[in-house]
Amino acid sequence: APLAELSGDHDFQLFLHKNLEFTRKIRGDVAALQRAVCDTFQLCTEEELQLVQPDPHLVQAPLDQCHKRGFQAEVCFTQIRAGLHAYHDSLGAVLRLLPNHTTLVETLQLDAANLSSNIQQQMEDLGLDTVTLPAEQRSPPPTFSGPFQQQVGGFFILANFQRFLETAYRALRHLTR
Amino acid sequence: TQQSGAELDCASVAVGAPVVPMGSAVTASCTIRRERCRGLEDGQPLISWLLDSEPMAGRQRRGVGGTEVSELRVPQLNRPQAKLWCCVEWNGTKQRVGVAEIRAGYPPGKPSNLSCLLDLGDYGLTCRWQQGADGHLPTNIMLKCATSRSPAVTGCTPQNGHSQCTVPRRLLQLYRPMELWVTATNALGTAESERLRIDPMDVAKLDPPTLQSIRSMPPQTDCVTLTWTMTPRNAHMELRCELRYRAPEDPSWGVLTGIAGHAGTVQHCKFLFGTLYHFQMRCRRDLARGYWSEWSVSRNYTTHEKAP
Repeated sequence: APLAELSGDHDFQLFLHKNLEFTRKIRGDVAALQRAVCDTFQLCTEEELQLVQPDPHLVQAPLDQCHKRGFQAEVCFTQIRAGLHAYHDSLGAVLRLLPNHTTLVETLQLDAANLSSNIQQQMEDLGLDTVTLPAEQRSPPPTFSGPFQQQVGGFFILANFQRFLETAYRALRHLTR
Repeated sequence: TQQSGAELDCASVAVGAPVVPMGSAVTASCTIRRERCRGLEDGQPLISWLLDSEPMAGRQRRGVGGTEVSELRVPQLNRPQAKLWCCVEWNGTKQRVGVAEIRAGYPPGKPSNLSCLLDLGDYGLTCRWQQGADGHLPTNIMLKCATSRSPAVTGCTPQNGHSQCTVPRRLLQLYRPMELWVTATNALGTAESERLRIDPMDVAKLDPPTLQSIRSMPPQTDCVTLTWTMTPRNAHMELRCELRYRAPEDPSWGVLTGIAGHAGTVQHCKFLFGTLYHFQMRCRRDLARGYWSEWSVSRNYTTHEKAP
């Protein structure tokens, strides 16, 4: 993939280092919200919630092209962007769940959108095909049958988003020199 | 031409331009409708002018519809603001029947020295600049910002005449260059500052680190090991820090630079034995030569006595 030749490129490396830091920031903010869900609803570990885990497709964010085996940087970038777009929307459910943390959740949504557009611009700078994810075409956040299901849903949205970010972080770091 | 006063009034004053460059000419006309002026008997009203309190003579002529019109030309308006009064002689007195505000000034001066700083609390970007020369006219100042890809221009407006304002987080694009500039606009023109092209994160002001512990390590040597931490909101950043130390009698600080990475420990040697030292640390982001944090709170440590 063209990225392999460019990974020595200074601007590309600067992009990677900056957005690795950005991803760390986002992961820190997601962790803060996970702590808030734990403190507020006593929902702290996945192990205790296996039987009530919501539909696994709560958020569509595959990152199969970002794993070491078959790493396809261009496709991986596109998957990261699509995932950020999806989590941006699903965070709306967390917004309802944690009204006292509205500023943090909204900052998280802003950061997710910013990271996605940073990746898009970098792909365009590299001459790669990019999919424009229409900002206005947002899907509504998931809804749940009751308060407890909403809390569990919020818990798993954040847990899955943290996992998603971890994979995305490793993919970006894989490209650094 | 701008009309002042409705057409049904006793008089209406129109000026060529309400705002003119300083020292330029101003033209105006005053139209008298005698039938609308209470108590003004028949006969030709004598129209005169006052520039603030300075009498001025116009050229009077008959207008359409039985009106009387006086046209005035002020060759040079040399004051930023003036009132142009239209008057009519009546019973031996000069009656003020209409007025127009006129202004003179300059196009706005170019704003300069634009600099910005990102607050890691609310991620607002506060920018400061130096105002350009005063144009003596009502001036609209705005800080404008745009990301390199999007045509949308947003920004903020300084309040109460300050030369600063804060762009809220939602208008910023983090970790990517943005363009910022100041515009000053008055009736005579617009001036723009130089454009600042920065990634807001590169002008983040970090919180000072905290020196946690200081020990002689390894023991019985002239080496000291310090542990330090950063605030949680800076924890995700790759940092470049420097440590300064000084014994009370030292004329200046010793400085250890290039301390890299996240929070952690740092070791330095060649300290005098049995001596009290003051230690401070500061940091900035490794990715950008942005702003240094303030120095940490000072911590004192006395090195141990030399072994006999």
